[in-house]
Parts: sequence; C-alpha cells; structure tokens
Amino acid sequence: MTKPGHIPMLPQADKIGWSASVNGKSVSKSVESNAILLDVLRDYVGTLGVKRGCDMGTCGCCAVLINGEPRLSCLTLAQEVNDTDITTVEGLADGTHLAPIQETFAIYGGSQCGFCTPGFLVVAEALLRSNQNPTKDEIKTAIEGNLCRCTGYQPIVDSILAASEILSSNEGTIDSTQHQSDPHPGFIEEDN
Amino acid sequence: MSDEKEMVGYRQQPGKLPFARPGSGGKNQFSQLRDDELIPESQGGKKKQPWGDHRHDELVTSSAIGKRTPLYDAKWKVTGQAKYGDDIRLSNELIGKILRSPHHFARIKSIDTSAAESLEGVVAIATGADATAKFGVLPVTKDEHALAVNLVRHMGDLVACVAAEDEATALEALKLIEVDYEILDSNNDMAKGLEDSENPIHDRGKYHIGESNIQKRVFQEFGEVTNMEQKAVASHKANWHFQGVNHGFTEPHAVAAHWDPRGRLTIYTPQQVPHYLHRSLADVLEIPMHQINVYRTFVGGGFGGKSDPFPHEMCAAILARKSGRPVRITFDREEVFWINRGRHPSKIEMNLHADSQGRLCGVATDALIDGGSFASFGHVTTYYNGVLHTAPYEIGGFHYTGARVWTNKPASGAMRGHGAVNSRCAVEVGLDDLSEQLAVDPMTFRLANLLPPLSATITGFRITSTGMRECLEKVRAASGWDEKFRKLPLGHGIGVGCGFFISGSGLPIHWDPNKFPHATVHLKIDMDGGVTVHTGAAEIGQGSDTVVAQSVAEVLGLPLDMIRIRSRESDTSPVDLGSYSSRVTFMNANAAISAAMEIREELIEATTEITGADKEKLVIGDRRIYDKTDPAVGVSYLEALHKAQEERGALVASGAYRTPPMGRAHKGAAAGLAPAYSFSAYVAEVKVDVETGETKVLNVWAAHDCGKALNPLSVEGQIIGSCHMGLGQVLSEEMVYGRTGNLMNANLLEYKIPTVHEMPNVFPIIVESNDPEGPFGAKEAGEGPLLPILPSVCNAVYDAIGLRVNELPITQDRMHQNIEKLCKEQGVSDPLELTSPSIEYSQLQEILAKRAEEHEKRDKERRNSENVEPYHNGALFGYEATIPPEEQSNEWEVSVTPSQEYLENPRLAGSAWKHVERRHRSDA
Repeated sequence: MTKPGHIPMLPQADKIGWSASVNGKSVSKSVESNAILLDVLRDYVGTLGVKRGCDMGTCGCCAVLINGEPRLSCLTLAQEVNDTDITTVEGLADGTHLAPIQETFAIYGGSQCGFCTPGFLVVAEALLRSNQNPTKDEIKTAIEGNLCRCTGYQPIVDSILAASEILSSNEGTIDSTQHQSDPHPGFIEEDN
Repeated sequence: MSDEKEMVGYRQQPGKLPFARPGSGGKNQFSQLRDDELIPESQGGKKKQPWGDHRHDELVTSSAIGKRTPLYDAKWKVTGQAKYGDDIRLSNELIGKILRSPHHFARIKSIDTSAAESLEGVVAIATGADATAKFGVLPVTKDEHALAVNLVRHMGDLVACVAAEDEATALEALKLIEVDYEILDSNNDMAKGLEDSENPIHDRGKYHIGESNIQKRVFQEFGEVTNMEQKAVASHKANWHFQGVNHGFTEPHAVAAHWDPRGRLTIYTPQQVPHYLHRSLADVLEIPMHQINVYRTFVGGGFGGKSDPFPHEMCAAILARKSGRPVRITFDREEVFWINRGRHPSKIEMNLHADSQGRLCGVATDALIDGGSFASFGHVTTYYNGVLHTAPYEIGGFHYTGARVWTNKPASGAMRGHGAVNSRCAVEVGLDDLSEQLAVDPMTFRLANLLPPLSATITGFRITSTGMRECLEKVRAASGWDEKFRKLPLGHGIGVGCGFFISGSGLPIHWDPNKFPHATVHLKIDMDGGVTVHTGAAEIGQGSDTVVAQSVAEVLGLPLDMIRIRSRESDTSPVDLGSYSSRVTFMNANAAISAAMEIREELIEATTEITGADKEKLVIGDRRIYDKTDPAVGVSYLEALHKAQEERGALVASGAYRTPPMGRAHKGAAAGLAPAYSFSAYVAEVKVDVETGETKVLNVWAAHDCGKALNPLSVEGQIIGSCHMGLGQVLSEEMVYGRTGNLMNANLLEYKIPTVHEMPNVFPIIVESNDPEGPFGAKEAGEGPLLPILPSVCNAVYDAIGLRVNELPITQDRMHQNIEKLCKEQGVSDPLELTSPSIEYSQLQEILAKRAEEHEKRDKERRNSENVEPYHNGALFGYEATIPPEEQSNEWEVSVTPSQEYLENPRLAGSAWKHVERRHRSDA
C-alpha cells in the first residue's frame, strides 16, 4: 500500500500520566510521553491563552511560569515539568481584579493585537515578583526573548514600569465589574 | 469636583428646583464635566485649532475623542480570553494539513491519494480538482486556486490537503500522497522576468504581455519631462536594491470552517479584509454569498499580511464540506513565509533634478518589483511605487516606469506602507544628496518645496489638509537639528526623511454596484440605554473598535462603557471593505458619525417634546440633553431615549461613507487617490561603528500629521510600532533566497525582527492639521508613519560616515563591505581616518529659507480663509496656480504610454513596454 522505504511518522510514544497544578487547579491528563508542554496546555488543559507563534523558542508567545520561573512552553517537554506549579496568563488575575501588570498593559497600550501579550505578561510578572522596582534596562533584559510586532516595545516597557509603581504603592487594581457608569436618572438629593 | 474647574453652562437659578448638572445623567450627579481642553475654540472650549473650523466641531461633546483611550478589547487580550484563529475549537473538529510543492515550478502530471485515503483516521482529502474556480483579491487579476490546478508555481504552493482526526495522522497522510511532477525551468530573478519565456508562470490570455512574465506595467509622464536634466544644476541618480520583507506578525495564519446543519458555511479566520474573503469563498465554493458567514476572530497582527483571501481558507471550507465536520487548519511559521504577501523585493532607479532656484524640476523613477508567483495586490503596488511620491513636494516634471513580474517565489503583496515605502526611501535619500550638492540644509530644501493645503499634486490628487511643514519644524526643534547636522563626529550622524500616504483608497477594490458605500455602520439602542454598534471594520489590533466606539460616544455624549461593538460576523455586520489602505478610521468613523447624528436628532426631538425647549438651543452633554442657554431645562439621556422609543421600541440608525468624486481621467488615475493624505517627518540619530559596520539607531523624533488624534494612545502606538517595523527593514530584515530560489530563512530565528534592544528611543510627536472631511478632522496613522524611518536612517548614516547606502537592509556585513569600499575611494587604510561629512551653506540656502518663510505665510492664509482659490502643482515653476498646467501649456505632458523614442533606450522596468500585448499582435 505504501511506497517502499516509507517510514510512518505517527508517534509511537506511549501515553503516560501527566499532572501539574495549572493556575492553582490540579490537573492530570494522559499524554504522549514526548508531548510538548505547549500542546498539552492548549489541547489537553484548554489554557488557550498560551500562544503558539514560532514553535522554536524565538518569539516568546508561549512563555509560562513554571514554579514562578518563565519558561518557553514550546521548548519544554511536558514530562520535564510533571508535578510543578504552572501559571499561564489566565492565572494572573485575582477574580475580577486584574493583576497590576494586566491593568497597565491595557491602559498604557502595551497590548495592540495582543497575540504576544500573554508571553510578555508572564515574563513581566516573573520580573516584578523578584524585583518590584526594576530599572528600564532590567525590564529590557527581562523581555529580550519576546517579540512584539505592533508596539515597538516602548509602551510595553512603560506598562511594566507603571505596574511596578502600583505594586509599590500597594493600591491594587479596581474591580472590573464595579466601575461601569450608570445611565439611570437616579434620585438626586436636595442640597441643604 | 467643582473646585477643579468652573462648570461651563451651569448656573443654579433662584426659585427653581435643584436639577442635575449639565454634566450628569445618572445616580452619580457629578459624573463628568465638560472638558474644555478637548472642545475647540469655535465651540466655546479651549482647544486651539491653528487652522479653520471643522465640520464636525459642533458635535464635540468632550466625552471621548482626543483622550488617551485604552483599546476596547484590551482586557480580553491581557486575560488570555481573546480568541485568535487557532483558539477556535469546535466540537468534533478535524485537523487539516496541507501538502506543499517541493519544486519551484512544475507541472502536476498526477496525484494519487489512495494510500492516504485508506489510512485510519483520515476523513477527507482534497486536490485542485475539487475547486477549479480562480480567485484573487483584485477582480482584474484572479489567478489563484484553492489548490494547484495543473501547475505549482513556487516552493510551498498548495497541492493537496487532508482532514484527519488528529494532527499526526494528517501529517502522515500527506506523506502518503503521491504526486508526479514534471519539473519546469524556474526563475527567481526579477530582471529575467522581463524577458520572453517558454513557460510563463501565468497565462493571461489576450491580455498577456508578449510571452514574458510581466504581470503589470505602468508608464506615466506629467509636467515638463523632456528637458528636466538640462534645466538641472544638481542631479541625483541611484540604483537601489531592496530585499523582500515579511510582515512578521506574531500569529500564524489559522482558520476553522464549519457547515452548519442548515447548509451554511461559517468560516472563522483572522482576516483584515473579511469582505473580500466572503466574495472569494462564494466564487470558489460556487455558492451564493448569503450562504456564508465570515467570522473574524481576534487578529494577531496583520500589517497587510492577512488581507488577501487565502487558499488555506478555501481548503478548510472544502474539507469541512467533504467531511461534514468542522476543520481547523493552523500554519506553522514556515508556512507563513510560504504564503508571504510581504513587501516586494525591488530594484529602483531614482533620478532627481534640482534647478538653480532649488526647485525639484524633475523626478524620474523606474521601479521593477518582484511579485513572486501570484498577482495579489500587485496591480496597485505597481502604481503606488510611482504615484505615491508625487507629494508632498511641488514637482516640475514626473516620469515613472514601473513593472511587476512573476517569479517562482512566494507571492509578494501588500505590507504596511503598501508600495510607497521603497520608492519613498529612494526619493528622500535623493533629496538629501541634492541638498548636499546644492550646499543647502535638507530641512530648508524640503520646506521651500512643499505643496500648500487645498492643492492638487502633479498627478491630480487633491491635498485637503497638510501638516508637513509643522512636522518638519517640530522634529527640527525637538532633535536639535541645527546644532547637530553635519557637526557630529565620525560615526555619529543625524538624518531627516519625510512621508506621504493615502488615508483610505478612493476607489474600492470591488466597485460594483457603483454607488456602494465604502463603510456602513448600524446603531441600535434599546431601553437599557447602551448603544450597540454593528460595523464590519476589521479590528486587527490597530484600535478600530475603539475609534468607532469613541466616535459614537462623542456624538451622543455618552461614556465609553455604554458603547458595545459587534464587528465580527458578516451575518450581523454591514459590509465594510476591511482594514487596508489606512481607510478604517477615516471611512468607518465617518459612517459611525452620520449614524450617530441620526440618533442624536431623535433624542433632541424627544427632549423638545418633553420640555418644549427650542430644538436649536438643545445640546447633548454627559448623559443629559439640555438647553445651552438655560441648563436647568433639560432631561436625562434615558428620559429622552424612552420618549423617543414610545410606540416603536429600539432606535436604529444606519450611516455610510463613500468618497467624493475625485481625480483625473487618465489611465491609472484612480491609483493613489484618497479622500485625504497623511504626512510625516522623522529625524533619526545613529551611531555607526566604522570598524565593524554595526549600525545602531539611538533616537528617532517622529512627527506625524494624523489630522486629529482621536485616540492619542493608539496614534503614538502606531508611530512607535511603525518605527520598529521600518527599522527592521533598514537594519536586519530580509527574505534571503538562495541561488536556485530557495527561501533560506523561513523562521523567526534567521528572519531578524528587532528585539527590544535594537529599538531606539522614539519620541512621537502628533501634528493635527484638522482635515475638513475627516471624522472630527482625523486622517490615518497606521501606515504613513513607517515611510520616513527608512530614509532618515539612511541619511543619518551618510551624516555619520559619508556613505550613501543603496541596498537594504544595512546588515553589518553589507556595511562593512561598503565601508571598505569607501576607504579605498578616500585612500585611507584605517576606517577611523575617514572624513565625516561637513557642509558650508551656499547662497541658495538663504533664498530657500526666504521662500520657505513666504510659503509658510501662504499656507496659513489658505487654511484660514473662507474662499480658497485652486492651487495646482506647477505654480512654483511659473504656471498660473488656479488653472491646471496642462490647460496652459503644450509643454506640460500628461502621458500614460511610452513614445517610440523612449522605447529605443528604456530603463530596466521601462523595457517591459517593449513587449506587445497578445491582443494587439498581428500573429495572435
């Protein structure tokens, strides 16, 4: 049926158990022993916020935090990170309160098309966790592995600086459900 | 609250009931005050408008426009909830994969899919035979198939596709498909494409040009072209070679297709131009357009690279139809490079001539562009390489020959700054050289040759507003130009470059039916008070959703969070022609404003009914409609809305935009026509290491005239982002083709997009020229800002080391070779001994400075006077400004075909005219 000399490329790997805590929720899946973390997160766990941009570690879109350290999930075997704490972009917000870094990326234009944003966010989050007041150069070094084609990086650096200010001020971010303006003609108290 | 600002129009009258302040409509009575800083002086605010009133001024309510507004959809993006192409996961989906040609050019003799079909898990296979109808983004050049029919035209061309239960099975199935090819002689050299070939890559039937691979050729002459060289005292000539570049968006193409049980197709795809895909799908699938719903997902960057209807989108639809199940196809990065549509590799010969009075008496351009294997937008690109450098300067004579050829490479297409970038770079570098020869300051040289506002270019484009002069003056001041130019030490330099770009293509690609609008917006307001905006404008990250929301909010005096945008599906969105040619803000926001004005009218009428107030005196503030002479009289927005909804329910309105009649009648006159044009000027400061050839850009002062910055945050983002993309083309990005035409660097490791470390400090400067027809005065800001970065860097390199580059990108090895050559020319052995250019201004400098000053006065007068006389390009050369020069003199050429005399000695691209179209040949 097949041509002579044809070597089937179907993966022969066994399915084995894989478990981790993804964004605080423990998951266990049965995956191929040679599965790439990026595929497992997108296709099995369903954290589609982790993006596939280049498949070879050059764009940084697939970055996630493994035990708090930024890693490129497209270059990581799922088995390498068995039983670890994984944080993706979906795990940064605290309920309806965005993480400061998410809030500032939105406000300062750190995100335009948004495809590279998840990668930048987790890398920046890792930086801010270890260094609450980074300098511009430290920020640049932290995000040197991430490509952004829209912003020219400047607004991203600004966003990270702004997030560090929120963190140092301990103010936190607003509840996204609580700041909508109200169009109703409500009762106006008389001014005594 | 009231301690911050005096409230405008608010006065509590004794004896009257307390009333909500004008700036309030809700429970929070102090919700928002009028922001005088955003309201033009003509409307009683404090916003200074240096020139004239604008027709939308009276609609300004200070609720939304002009404020730094985060993108409407930013929070989806920062939380990972934004669904891009590959994030659309439909239940029971199949994975599609594409078999691609391993040859540059070959005839398909047979395809055997039987082995693949019998592989377990394979559900459907399609080949060229499944869809033979041609498609293409331009109706005049439909030359693509979903899958190759008969010929494969470049390595990576689509041959067959498979839908299987999982990716591994689909990939395995591809290997089992046996294709028998007859390999043909391929060509990857654009110059060879001009010659006759035994097997032209396409056959255009009676329109085919000779037996060549010329897809499109253009010849244009305007003005005094015959003796431009004789009149000149300074002439510049350069032969440029620009490598092809790719958009490099971060999201690879991905598509999901699904035929629902009623037999309708929904296609989920990150498209910039969903409407043209809609049309092409109908062509290829041979079904009516109403049977298709095009769903635009979030788009992970486009820049022109997602604006063609793509064969893989057809493939997904075909496979989904065959299998009866949803099919998802996702590209890897290599496939993104195979489909390409990036900027054309180009060979451009640029000739510029200046006369004794420092006027630009001649521009002669010859551009040969490498289209790769398909037409794509190429028809337009061929024109744009010429016509888009006929401004912002007044020109004595313009000659352009352009040709686009097919080669066996991935197709070139539209990319940010479509067709204008390369030739603009050549022009601006040429101007730098001319000023060097004339011994004048290149800034002054430019300032003394600008077209005024409300004028016509040599090709007949109408320039409504221009902030070119202000752009130049602002970057001159901000960069400290006068202290730095030709005064910096060796290896350190500064350079200037300008840009000019269309703000929306005047002629839609599909111009049937003739009076179809370019953009349409529907509004719907139900009793909850929120406004639903239905628009087909494709949000691709540039902020089009935000701008349309801002425009509606501004006219209706509502806060932004009461506006919601529905722009994804062709089922619910009115037709919009898409995100290309920098048209969205101009056209879509204009359509939105006219729809919102209808609603505004209804609300004001309802208020009159309730209060009995004079309609003429009613104004809209923040969620309140009130009498501007007596703010106590008024109702809240909701009261007025509910009154207007009595007996009819939701308010709906529709607004549309269509460009006014413009332009001349010659062949090709429509190319480059736009309702408005943007202008920009950049100054770049670079350091060149003369020993290693490394070029580092330190600072860029970037001034862009966007008419009015509706969202300054987005405008600045576009300016900085454009610098990034342009810098890539100047410094490091190129698609490298090997000797036989193999693409050598189809990945992001070897295709070098600048990282954060390569980025200079960019200082964005927004210039607002308040376009008379733009929405609130706005023009484009998405593509124009890219143009000046290339020439300003090239000119800065000259200022640094005295080297004129004519090949991009200026990678380290290229620069090193250039510097070695320069050392030989100057007779020095150590590059550190090279002389840094210096300048001593000639007498002409003063003449030009004086002329620039006079022109500045002229421009100011034209802007502020009520009745402006016409100004045609040519007035600077002694023609009557009010009459088109061609009506005044026989010497003023308007010609679109070459003379016999020209054909005896044509330039490179001009030689395309040596062939005779098949229909005009006696033997055909």
